[in-house]
Amino acid sequence: MKFLTTNFLKCSVKACDISNLNFPLEYDGSKCKLVQNEDIEFQPEFLLNILDRIDWPAILQVAADLGNTSLPSQKPELHTNMDELNEEELVILRDLHTLLLQTSITEGEMRCRNCGHVYYIKNSIPNLLLPPHLA
Amino acid sequence: MLPTPYIKCDYNKVYEPSEDSFLVLDSLEKDLVYLREKFKNRVTFVCELGPGSGIITTFMIQNEIPNRSNSLYFSVDINPWALDTTLTTAKLNGCSETNCYLECIQSDLTTSIRKRQVDILVFNPPYVPAVNVPEIPSSKENLDQWLDLALLGGKDGMVITQRVIDQLDDILSPTGVAYILFCARNKPEQIVSNIIETCDLWNIDLVKHRKAGWEVLSVYRFSRK
Repeated sequence: MKFLTTNFLKCSVKACDISNLNFPLEYDGSKCKLVQNEDIEFQPEFLLNILDRIDWPAILQVAADLGNTSLPSQKPELHTNMDELNEEELVILRDLHTLLLQTSITEGEMRCRNCGHVYYIKNSIPNLLLPPHLA
Repeated sequence: MLPTPYIKCDYNKVYEPSEDSFLVLDSLEKDLVYLREKFKNRVTFVCELGPGSGIITTFMIQNEIPNRSNSLYFSVDINPWALDTTLTTAKLNGCSETNCYLECIQSDLTTSIRKRQVDILVFNPPYVPAVNVPEIPSSKENLDQWLDLALLGGKDGMVITQRVIDQLDDILSPTGVAYILFCARNKPEQIVSNIIETCDLWNIDLVKHRKAGWEVLSVYRFSRK
């Protein structure tokens, strides 16, 4: 599962929906296996559009869970027109490309910060199903 | 006509694509221009519920619906075999990690997806009427039970579809649109007029309608007013 996907997954427990702790899930850095695929090509426009729609605090949080604390605390504000992007901005987008699209969690686990339920990632597929007593 | 994905999978594990899947493909093809226009120049979150063989998600990637380089495709199924098969089908048709964003997630419908994120929802549900919706199999190896779960929709075949319709406002993004398949025994006209009477959120349009063997199938599009 790609890093970016963490920005769309929440706890499946219905009761956690009224809490603001159900997103993002808390990833266990010691148990998550990260894999980098450098063959995924950099498309600055895609990254610019992704940046526009992601929840930045959640990105920061998951990155920190996985040991990356180098991201800026505020969402970078870049030119929205591709042609106006300068070198510095391209570097930012390239770094985000590496993190969000090239980095996958192939094995690992994550828990809800509200109810504590633990979910697993196996063979790159996250399993968000609940056991019958919680569903 | 847009090309249809090549499918080769174990039909003991997922259902073979049939008229219902093809009607969804035809509906998406019919709405191609509408979807491209609606979601141009932005990231589009595409979510298919219950992909089975993966034919619909793969068709969307292959034919750039609504666009390929700007879309995130999520295939969500409760059935682990469907997720494995969807990944295989995508690969078989040249969709790989390096040329598209495809994520397979094991989940009970959209319960694990952050609210109001889905731009295009596609759902070919378990629509066959049955006494009950089957229980979730306790083991991955209970193949017949997984197949039943993909087919049987409880009373009027509507139990699972109704769950999605009831949640639609929480599922779809502010510009979101959903494509949902019904069979005649689901009484779609009645369902649609009920929704229109009781809630003022949706434009609901019949996209495609077809008699297929002894079934009459239809695909409706739900879009926010």
